Amino acid sequence: MSRLSVRDHLPSVLVATISSAFGVALLGVTGVIGTAAEEDDATGSSGTVGLMLQIVAAVFIVIAMYVAAIVTANTFATIIAGRTRTIALLRLLGSSASAQRRAVAREGLLVGLAGAALGLLLGAGATFLLTRIGIALGALPDLAYPLVDASAGLPVAAVVLTTWLASWVGSRRVLTVTPLQALGSAQERSAADAARPARTVTGLVLVIVGLALVGFGVLVGLVTPFGVFLGLIGGVLSFTGLVAGSTWLMPPALRLVGRLFGQGAAARLAAENALRYPERSSRTAIGLVIGITLITMFGVGIATFERIMREAMAAEPRLYEGTQQMLTATVVVLSVLLGFSALIAAIGMVNNLSLSVLQRTRELGLLRALGFTGAQIRRMILVESAQLTLAALLVGVALGAFYGWAGAQSLFGAFDGSPGVVLPGVPWTLLGVLAIASGALTWIASLAPSRRATRVSPVAALAVD
Amino acid sequence: MTTPANPVVARVDGLGKAFGTGGNTVTALDAVTLGIRRGQFTAIMGPSGSGKSTLMHIMAGLDSPTSGRVWLGDTEITRLSDTDLTLLRRRRVGFVFQAFNLVPTLDIAGNIVLPFELDGRRPSADEQAWIDGLIDSLGLRERLRHRPHQLSGGQQQRVAIARALAPRPDLVFADEPTGNLDSRTGREVLALLATAARGYGQSIAMVTHDPVAASYADRILFLADGRLVEDRTRSSAEEISSFMLAMERAA
Repeated sequence: MSRLSVRDHLPSVLVATISSAFGVALLGVTGVIGTAAEEDDATGSSGTVGLMLQIVAAVFIVIAMYVAAIVTANTFATIIAGRTRTIALLRLLGSSASAQRRAVAREGLLVGLAGAALGLLLGAGATFLLTRIGIALGALPDLAYPLVDASAGLPVAAVVLTTWLASWVGSRRVLTVTPLQALGSAQERSAADAARPARTVTGLVLVIVGLALVGFGVLVGLVTPFGVFLGLIGGVLSFTGLVAGSTWLMPPALRLVGRLFGQGAAARLAAENALRYPERSSRTAIGLVIGITLITMFGVGIATFERIMREAMAAEPRLYEGTQQMLTATVVVLSVLLGFSALIAAIGMVNNLSLSVLQRTRELGLLRALGFTGAQIRRMILVESAQLTLAALLVGVALGAFYGWAGAQSLFGAFDGSPGVVLPGVPWTLLGVLAIASGALTWIASLAPSRRATRVSPVAALAVD
Repeated sequence: MTTPANPVVARVDGLGKAFGTGGNTVTALDAVTLGIRRGQFTAIMGPSGSGKSTLMHIMAGLDSPTSGRVWLGDTEITRLSDTDLTLLRRRRVGFVFQAFNLVPTLDIAGNIVLPFELDGRRPSADEQAWIDGLIDSLGLRERLRHRPHQLSGGQQQRVAIARALAPRPDLVFADEPTGNLDSRTGREVLALLATAARGYGQSIAMVTHDPVAASYADRILFLADGRLVEDRTRSSAEEISSFMLAMERAA
């Protein structure tokens, strides 16, 4: 790897490191809690607590890794777009497309290995620290806990594999680079991303079947709590369909949000830029959507449960004492766990915006030459950033509210004293936190790219390379 | 066109530009003094490295000189801030580059009115009539909803010319506007520029190293090694070529 490509891959290494550290630490901490529970005779349930915790931990680790894989695939696709000329030159000199793609995948493997190793160290360190803090606070008995559980090998290996796989998926476009692209200074194309009808149809079928199951689950939930299993299956199916079909879900949302910023030159260009590579923007946004949807889902689900409970409590007051604090604690813990997935998605967004600015130096130079002020450039990039976060926030909150309501309804609809169908509860605090976090992300993501963009000299547009 | 009070639309006085520092200093321009006349098509010629591009960048407010002063109309631009220079480029200068002239995400109509949009306004009725006239005379009417990459090089260059002429700037700078075109398309583009100068009184300064391109101009300025070496009125491509060759031999 040359020095340039090391810089290219730093964000991917960061993503792999975070997901590996998250996995190692989460399994480590649950392992510690499990060990503590086994020692504690009062619980009596010994091994089961540890196992249950590890299953829950595994779910959150898989979510984080899934988001990480999307982000990494996207980052690689963006890097490839920037390397088109170099790849074309190598093709011109006789290198085959598949050899080029294998070289990219090798970089992906190295990125995965580096990130996984760093993550193992960080995760083990975090487990140790958290355990010491737990013991110091008296929350854990002072036992000889293992620093790294054997199970830590799983997330580490999974990070290497998913990063490698993501780099392979992201390098698909290498195959479409022709040797001719090395010659001539062709006008930059707004590449129309190849439509993939098979995937669209699969996505659509999954969404329809999934939503039908969710609706059925809500109805069944009025009779028995087992409705939630229908809802769970339906939710997983329909959400997978939406993620697979992100290229038709996100562009309309991005377009809609783009219109909110008005008709000024900066806003209009920003709106077009966000949709220049629909596949890329969709994948950038969908990572955020996954995080926001899941966080909102738990928030709304629990708020809706509270609403059902309030009604039920009026009918049967004794049954539901003391659940309030436990619920609030659950929302906080789940949000923090899902926050790691959201963090990974946020890194992906920052990186995507930076790379896309880097790749249009000449266009920015042209705009400067034609009379775009530095302030207008900054506003354009801020709007591009805001468009991604706002679209992700809107879609994520809408989806999360629906899933959360359906989940609570199908699980608790048949409770003693339940009023039947209720409106979704609104977790105002959580939504406020999400909105503030999105605003902060918008601003942070635009900082580095707009600094770089305003430094572009207008002469850059006139130079012919 | 009315006869303006000042016959010179842009001028530089004792202009010097050096790149690099210490022992590696390269002098791109050395005490250049010249004026571009209003309503004329002026070609700035010279071999590679003669400083003609640097001269254009400085006159257009894209780069700053090491020494000397620059005026556009009656405004001295030498000491203007970056924002003032940007506004000046937006309102009083037009550009046609060799390549990458158009914003790829905007359609042709959007590219042509971009200078107005940057100012946060729509063209007035009078300006719109002028733009419509340009669109028709440049044959772009059918292309307004297309994206730049759907157009040929010559068509893209015509869009760039329409955009440069649309705000009726004081001066249009053209940097090797035919450099990326085949010779027939190149001649068409040059004829359009010449028509803009003669028909509408548009002042144009074109940087080129191509004698055929320069033969379309009303006046030709020759630069060599960062100095102005010759100032001629309209000449044939043969005359320009032989002067260039003579310059080469003298060097």
